[in-house]
Amino acid sequence: MTATRTHPPAATAPPLEPPAARPPHRRAGRRVGGVGTFTLFGLPSLVLYGYVVLVPIGISVYHSLTNRNPFRPPTRWVGLDNYQKLLVDPGFWKVLTNTIVITVVVTIAANAIGLAVALLLDRRGWLYNLLRGVFFTPVVLSGVVVSVIWQAVLTDDGLLNSTLRGLGVERPPGWLSDPDLALYTLCWIMTWQMIGFCVVVYLAALQGVPADLYEAAAVDGAGPVEKFRHITWPLLAPALTINTVMLLISTFKVYDHVQVITNGGPGDGTTSTIAFDVIQTGLIGNRVGHASAVAVVMLVFVAVVATIVLRLLQRREVTS
Amino acid sequence: MMDRRRLLAAGGVVTALALLGACTAGGDNGAKGGNGEVELSFLTFETPNLNAAYWDAAIARASAKVPGVKIKKLVAPSADRTSYVKQLDTSGQMPDIMAAISVSGFAQSDKLATFTPTELNEFVWPYVNTIGGEIYQLPYNTQTIPMVYYNKDQFAKAGITAPPKTYAEFLDVCEKLKAAGTNPIVLGGGGKDTWADMYPLTATVATEVYKGNPEWLADRVAGRKTFAGDPGFVKAVQKVVDLAKKGYIDPVGLSRSYADTEKAFREGKGAMYPMGSWFPASADSDKPGFEIGVFAWPTDDGSLVVPAYTGGGLSVSAKAPDVELAKKWALAFQTDKSNLDAIVKGDGAIIALKNYQPPTEMGPVYKATLAIYDEAVRQNAVTTAFSQENGDASLPPGLADKAALGVQDLITGKKTAVEFAEFLDAEWAKTK
Amino acid sequence: MNHSNHGWLRPLVATFVGASFFLPLYLVLANVFKPGKDIIGSPAALPMPPTLHNIEEVLSRPDHLFWYGLVNSIQVTAISIVVLTALSAMCGYYLARNNGLGARVMLVVMLAGLMIPPAVIIQPITEVLRSAGLMTSVVGLVVVNVGYYLPFGVFVFAGFVKTIPVEIEQAAAIDGAGRLRVFWQIVFPLLRPASASVLIFLGVWIWNDFLNPLIILGPAEGTTVTVGIYRAIGEHQADYGSVFALMFLASLPVLIFYLAFQKHFVKGLTAGASKG
Repeated sequence: MTATRTHPPAATAPPLEPPAARPPHRRAGRRVGGVGTFTLFGLPSLVLYGYVVLVPIGISVYHSLTNRNPFRPPTRWVGLDNYQKLLVDPGFWKVLTNTIVITVVVTIAANAIGLAVALLLDRRGWLYNLLRGVFFTPVVLSGVVVSVIWQAVLTDDGLLNSTLRGLGVERPPGWLSDPDLALYTLCWIMTWQMIGFCVVVYLAALQGVPADLYEAAAVDGAGPVEKFRHITWPLLAPALTINTVMLLISTFKVYDHVQVITNGGPGDGTTSTIAFDVIQTGLIGNRVGHASAVAVVMLVFVAVVATIVLRLLQRREVTS
Repeated sequence: MMDRRRLLAAGGVVTALALLGACTAGGDNGAKGGNGEVELSFLTFETPNLNAAYWDAAIARASAKVPGVKIKKLVAPSADRTSYVKQLDTSGQMPDIMAAISVSGFAQSDKLATFTPTELNEFVWPYVNTIGGEIYQLPYNTQTIPMVYYNKDQFAKAGITAPPKTYAEFLDVCEKLKAAGTNPIVLGGGGKDTWADMYPLTATVATEVYKGNPEWLADRVAGRKTFAGDPGFVKAVQKVVDLAKKGYIDPVGLSRSYADTEKAFREGKGAMYPMGSWFPASADSDKPGFEIGVFAWPTDDGSLVVPAYTGGGLSVSAKAPDVELAKKWALAFQTDKSNLDAIVKGDGAIIALKNYQPPTEMGPVYKATLAIYDEAVRQNAVTTAFSQENGDASLPPGLADKAALGVQDLITGKKTAVEFAEFLDAEWAKTK
Repeated sequence: MNHSNHGWLRPLVATFVGASFFLPLYLVLANVFKPGKDIIGSPAALPMPPTLHNIEEVLSRPDHLFWYGLVNSIQVTAISIVVLTALSAMCGYYLARNNGLGARVMLVVMLAGLMIPPAVIIQPITEVLRSAGLMTSVVGLVVVNVGYYLPFGVFVFAGFVKTIPVEIEQAAAIDGAGRLRVFWQIVFPLLRPASASVLIFLGVWIWNDFLNPLIILGPAEGTTVTVGIYRAIGEHQADYGSVFALMFLASLPVLIFYLAFQKHFVKGLTAGASKG
């Protein structure tokens, strides 16, 4: 049983605060500390997380230093050879760029459109409740379902191009077949799926903005733009944090959409992402060594982004 | 307190489910059946032609002939069953028997059982697509890949009276169709069906490369040739590039899945459909609103060349619980007359077994396809089908997929013929 | 805000934007209740008269693709999310209330895993599972789901715990309650919004997961409904009626789940944030 019975005042910090930002209260540390508590509360999670995530990462790192290919034994130690080859492999840079483009475009677009829609729907009434539900529906659908729906809409004989032809457009764009367009089409499909999430989070934040702030601003003669800049926007910061984190989680792991809609095409690697490429070269192409090196690069990238994002957004929240 | 009760209820549900669900729905466990039966897993794939009912009936007929076998049917999640078997193998769950996979790679790493000459007695071409002289897949049928199926109404409307014989005539036909406002060639390859865009290239490689040198791919495997260094191969690729450049292949078709591509041809969205010999099955059984004709992809001089792939049967894992029994079952499956009739009717197969005659009620498109193939056999004008090869002389694992992606680049103008050939060489090098 | 005299403009614009957004979903809904040949002819028309043919066809498939998938999906999802909620609540609580170096390192290590795409580690995961004999089993899939989604649960719970006053726990501890009892009887009920968010989000994600069940469950152990859809699109892609019907049926449970818990969906995620 814990010996300490004194505690710091209630933590009122926002939830995303990184642990380092907490004021150091030594006694608080011991409150739920101790080996016994760790065994009960922390260890089961750590073991499972270690088994499913950390150990496989270790195995990936190990494979990435070999030429492992189950079809071509024996496996040899090749040191950093796989990584050196990646540096000069345009295919690798292409999938890395694609992954970054998807992440950046979807994160920005879904946040921007989501905020715009939230501002539009920030009213009471059945219509706005219904529309909020409409926007949120795609969020709970699987990537496979969303992909099949959009494929039906965007294929050349699909609803969109049939309509465009009906309107007199002779050569409507090849949304999925034009290699310069397909990646952005894919971005749009993922944005469409995530907009609703941003809408709901922004709405919750907007409805938490005290009305008297606006009234006071109105007295001072502030217009709608100024009110948004000085009152709404700063108070939306926590919502932006949540949306960005959720969008990054969703976009980094994009696999279903690519697999179902484009299979990495049209053409060589135009819409392939790191997640898709690792499966293609590792599980299907059997080049486990190479695929593991790609995976490790991605893991480092993801870890760096996760750290930067959690810190940056946190700092922004605190200062605003 | 509501929470605790709810949590308890949830816990109860979970416990019940966990007890109930030691095994999953749709999969019963246990390698051995009750009365000394051996359970063997059999990986199938489903297409509009070969649906679940076809496989179930065929499995039942084979099992009736081989006592002591209990078959557990598995279904690949897409028509690309070879990729799926690789994925299963990499994760340690290779099926015991597999239908129509590409054996290259599996065979070399001793993952598949070989068939003996006695076992292959009934087959017409027992030793095509061998690997190290051995057969790892029952060569029970031939598929011509591709022939050109065409819409007779649209040909007539464009003033074309006869199918083209030479390549110059073929280009002329394309031009006339285009002038008449008809899209000349229907081509697909969207979504997970990227492979469906390979057929024009398979045809031109046959006419430009394999016709002159049937051993060309063996030379490539041995490193005596490269794609980029072979003018014939580059010319074959250039022909596809030119078709796209002249507007005879509509690049927007690349967004169509395989099934949508067939639908597009049926709906008259193009006059010519380069496709494998399985297309006649659905063309005959579910007739579109126009008559369909067929011709072999023309050569420059008008001589006949028909690319074809023979094999496509079952393979047996070297690690099956009872390899001999699995082989016996595979042979029973593959030689059963009703099974063969079913696949001829269902998938337009050209059976490569001695003494087999297709059902007399087969439709006109199948018969026309078979007639061209038989003529090609008589003239010794059958070549292998590029990217479909399955023996020693075949593309390394994964390269056919890369080639199909590369073809999309050709059609959208992202790669020139030489760049495409260099790309294939580079990807080939990566598989080493 | 500016209650302008154009009172009609906002509902009009909102309805128009919402309707455009909804169009792709309408396409599916309308065609589920339409005979196959009408779909090709007029995909956007209302299903008049509506038919249940497509739905019946999916429900009565001879291979029971939908029913087996449904049982598997429910089983995997239910077990995974209950275990996940319990474990991540405890772990999140522990890490939020503990300022020691070990706990801080553990939190960082866990949050770093928040954004790892499962695809990049699935191959070694299969090796790990195989060595423990858990490959191709529901247990294996549940273990992977739990391990992989723990960071998300911890992320939500750790954030939420910090908004809860510690005095309550103190009082209970003074009464001599054990740590586990304090947690389950006092703290956990206070975490309800966070638990709801975790249950709901992870429920939706796990239900919709495609890659893990495809690879870990393997073909021999049946599929989940989501993998079933992927399989069906190869088989009947031309037959949009039955593909859409399967998609509709497979999504129905999550949609009902969502409608039932709509209010709680983001509360746990945002509650702390707006209070902060």
